[in-house]
Amino acid sequence: MSETRRVVVTGMGCVSGLGIGVEPTWRRALAGEGAIRPTVREAAGTLLDGPAAPVDAEALDAALTGLALRPLGMLDPLSRFALAAAAEAVAQAGLSDHPVFEARTAVLVGCGSGGNATVEAAYERLFAKGSARVHPQTIPASMLSAPASHLAMLLGVHGPTMAFSSACASSAHALGEAMHMIRSGRVEVALAGGAEACLNTGSWVGWKAIGAMADDTCRPFCATRKGMVLGEGAAMLVLESEEHAVARGAAILGELAGYGASSDATDMTAPDVDGISRAIRAALADAGVTPGTPALVSAHGTGTRLNDRAEAAGLRDVLGLALDGSTVIATKSAHGHLIGAVAALEFVLGLKALAEGLAPPVLNYREPEPECALPLALEAMTLPHEFLLSNSFAFGGLNAVLVGRRRA
Amino acid sequence: MAVSREEVVAVLAEESGLDPAKVRPEATFEELDIGSIDVASTLFAIEDKFGVVVDPDQLDPASTVSQFVDLVLRLAETPAA
Repeated sequence: MSETRRVVVTGMGCVSGLGIGVEPTWRRALAGEGAIRPTVREAAGTLLDGPAAPVDAEALDAALTGLALRPLGMLDPLSRFALAAAAEAVAQAGLSDHPVFEARTAVLVGCGSGGNATVEAAYERLFAKGSARVHPQTIPASMLSAPASHLAMLLGVHGPTMAFSSACASSAHALGEAMHMIRSGRVEVALAGGAEACLNTGSWVGWKAIGAMADDTCRPFCATRKGMVLGEGAAMLVLESEEHAVARGAAILGELAGYGASSDATDMTAPDVDGISRAIRAALADAGVTPGTPALVSAHGTGTRLNDRAEAAGLRDVLGLALDGSTVIATKSAHGHLIGAVAALEFVLGLKALAEGLAPPVLNYREPEPECALPLALEAMTLPHEFLLSNSFAFGGLNAVLVGRRRA
Repeated sequence: MAVSREEVVAVLAEESGLDPAKVRPEATFEELDIGSIDVASTLFAIEDKFGVVVDPDQLDPASTVSQFVDLVLRLAETPAA
């Protein structure tokens, strides 16, 4: 078998409560500035409040100014987040209008749900206002694949384009499958990542109903953690075969070196240590990294009672003593849980941490719990690691783990 | 309901993502790149705002802005049967 093609990252973009753009997002994460704050949403007279990490709407408008959005039609916030993140990533990669977009580029966008605000507006007309009609663009604007189509249209990408959906692991699956498309030679470039816009009343109330939401803030691996906190936004990466990137002289930001996926096949909401371990092992093996190698671990770290214990057990199970020499970050404590977008955002922040040799601190931590004993970066600290292990474990037992590698 | 020419043009521009200044009376939908989805969205908003139901079959790519506005104004003046 011929040597596996290396897959490198040449562009990154993101939108979240931490800001618009990778640089401000990274600076705030590193400075320990969290985006979680008291948030209120209202629809049809129903008021919802609680902690969340919403995107600054005015900053998003400014970021989208100048993009040729008119042919795209009505845009849900879901697509607007994805478009801003993708435009940043493609500009950084220097690929705008590149001939590779003609056929040899894929667009893979992970979303846990579709355009919730658009659906909500339609239902509000039907059920609260007694109207028999909804906006004619309700379906094209809210379908799960709308962001993928919108990115392809904006950028003129004609290769394989589709959406991936696996709840909180959606964008990890999108990035991992994109990596395989490049490795296999099917495409040279992939624009991959995820988007989520779940902070509208109808979606948020559904998340609250599960009973896994904190009423204070997100405290990953802390003994007094009460659950997860929703965020919203998008993160998109330009992945490229190393040979294509080198041939055109692109700056290489890091490498997507491995991907492991597994399905618990046990429970719709409870995590499973075996499934978690399986995905981590598979990702390390795929990257050719022995489990005894200390790494920067970007934990799934949702701050729920169940996830954090199961994840700590899975990490100990696979890494063994190497876990003690590793460094664990949990950036959901800063940007909240962006569901389908969060794995890509965490991979972006993880690659930045590797490249800069600095770990952003885990926020809101108060006291340890023996079942969650991990080498957490409770303050910003320097990192010696070459590898990033980025975990995503979704509702429904769908796990995906990515391995990143620092460029020398 | 009294509907003004300017209000109809404003809805057409808003729903089609166009600068209202560019929506000249003599321009056709085709020239302005107003497609079927823009027309559907515009007619939806016209009905929402003015209570006027326009049959999309009365419009085509060669329709001008002023023909469209005339049609809406005519329907707005017609008392409901």
